Amino acid sequence: MGVFLLRRAASSLSVLAMSVVLVFLSIRILPGDPVLAKLGAATEVTPEALVALREEAGLNRPLLVQLFSWIGDAFRGDLGVSYFSQFPVTQLVSERIPVTLEVTFFIIFIAVILALILAPLSTLKPGSIVDRVIGYSTSIGLSVPGFVIGIVLILIFSLTLQWLPSRGFIPISENLVENLKLMILPAVTGGLTATPYLVRYLRASMLEVKQSPFVRTAEGKGLSNVRVLFRHILPNSLVPTLTMLGLIVGYTLSGVVVIEYMYGLPGIGSLAIESAFKRDYAVIQGVALTIISFFILTTFVFDILCGIVDPRLRLAKGQKSEV
Amino acid sequence: MKFKWRYSFSGFLILLILGICLAAPILAPYDPNAIAVADAFSGPTAKNWMGADDLGRDSFSRILYGGRITILIAMAATLIALLIGTTWGLIAGVRRGWVDEFLMRTADATMAIPQILFALVCVSAVGASIISLPIVVGILLSPTTARMARSAVVTELSSDYVTAAIASGTKRSKLILSEVMPNIAPQLLVQLSINAAAAVMLEATLSFIGLGIQPPNASWGTLMLQGYAKIWNTYWFVFFPALAVTITILAFNAYGERIRVTMDSRRSSV
Repeated sequence: MGVFLLRRAASSLSVLAMSVVLVFLSIRILPGDPVLAKLGAATEVTPEALVALREEAGLNRPLLVQLFSWIGDAFRGDLGVSYFSQFPVTQLVSERIPVTLEVTFFIIFIAVILALILAPLSTLKPGSIVDRVIGYSTSIGLSVPGFVIGIVLILIFSLTLQWLPSRGFIPISENLVENLKLMILPAVTGGLTATPYLVRYLRASMLEVKQSPFVRTAEGKGLSNVRVLFRHILPNSLVPTLTMLGLIVGYTLSGVVVIEYMYGLPGIGSLAIESAFKRDYAVIQGVALTIISFFILTTFVFDILCGIVDPRLRLAKGQKSEV
Repeated sequence: MKFKWRYSFSGFLILLILGICLAAPILAPYDPNAIAVADAFSGPTAKNWMGADDLGRDSFSRILYGGRITILIAMAATLIALLIGTTWGLIAGVRRGWVDEFLMRTADATMAIPQILFALVCVSAVGASIISLPIVVGILLSPTTARMARSAVVTELSSDYVTAAIASGTKRSKLILSEVMPNIAPQLLVQLSINAAAAVMLEATLSFIGLGIQPPNASWGTLMLQGYAKIWNTYWFVFFPALAVTITILAFNAYGERIRVTMDSRRSSV
């Protein structure tokens, strides 16, 4: 277990390090002078002032030095300051992250519940009408952009039925009921986007497990189909799906950007979009670092979970990476 | 089992969409940017059969012209992703060793960066245009393409005919280009189709959050953004571009799926 943990941690860290370098470099390589962006439309900037500002921001140092000092600062929880508001990026991100985490939690919750209903339902009788309907809906679900699902939901539940609000945010601390009401549409939008991936994966692994001898034994004992499905097949197909769930949590964290924007939720996704409009690279960089770290952390945690649940994976994974 | 191109509905749908977009100047009843205030927020009528937007511009004409931009960007992005991704995967798959390790780790790292976020950074830096969007989207799609190309090449290189070719002294470059490449072409085609769907989706998403094609030009995503802002006035405005995007993505995904299924059944029947 120790070796497995170390190996996974090392590979996660190396991916993290590389993507951090990629984010940093791509922001530096791209045209668009952050200093000019900071000055914005302010005219009559003397070249001397520009040089001074660059010096102040440390932009005239060699790229590698900048990279390492940025990473070093990031470890100490300092992601620099916004070019515009001059607020520390760490503060901006940490103010907004609870909203993002709340939406993400509800999205995953809805997706998991739906998948746990739909996948067993379609494996109960492969090839049946129910199975085919679920199959077609997941195929369509994979092709519909999240915001289109959102538009449809708003049209139905906000415009026509007028049941739910379509925009805005009220913190939990102020009003729990209103907060949850505003969370429903974003969560369902994201949930419906993530569900097809989970259903597909879970269905495939359930069908695979269905072929195992122990399932035949259980059936031979005379257990009912439903009991075999829920007591024997489902628990055994959850492990591979756990890995997939880790990935989906990660993707949801980034997909939530659009959902936050469309429903006017003040999370880190809308922070990123606002900063993109203003070319506030320090903030985008900070948001990117946060989301990437969360992504890698969740996949890491879920991999470890799989290793704990199913010891065979520890061995298989380790052997695979040595070959 | 022979693959019947003629009966592939999704393939037909893709051709139809391409054809309609190409023929937009002939098919569009109005100039997409012609303002007719009297028709503003009109629902579907005989005159504007997909309705009209807040300035009375004909939605149908705007969707036809918007499709040209969306499809053009998607096609260019797909080609870029194919070029970068295939080269990337090919080098990794052929060279193996530390080159492989490095290239694939880079692919992992690139995939860990959320696509939308990376696109945000690029687009805010270089601005969104018909040139920059395909490049950004193409780069975003290349790591997955690279992984696919690599695994296809690795599988292909382990087959008997490759050993035979090496034994008979065929040059490696010739072997790769004239033997291996044609054999992994179907897999590339599947990836091409999936990439096209993903490119349409990414472009639409970027334009929808206002960082894509800028007005007065409009892709489907831009149209949806404009329609979404006016969703309380008329839902026709946002409905039809959304429908167009969804159908296009579905067609590309279904086509990719179709080829994959055909490929798999062929392989298993051999």
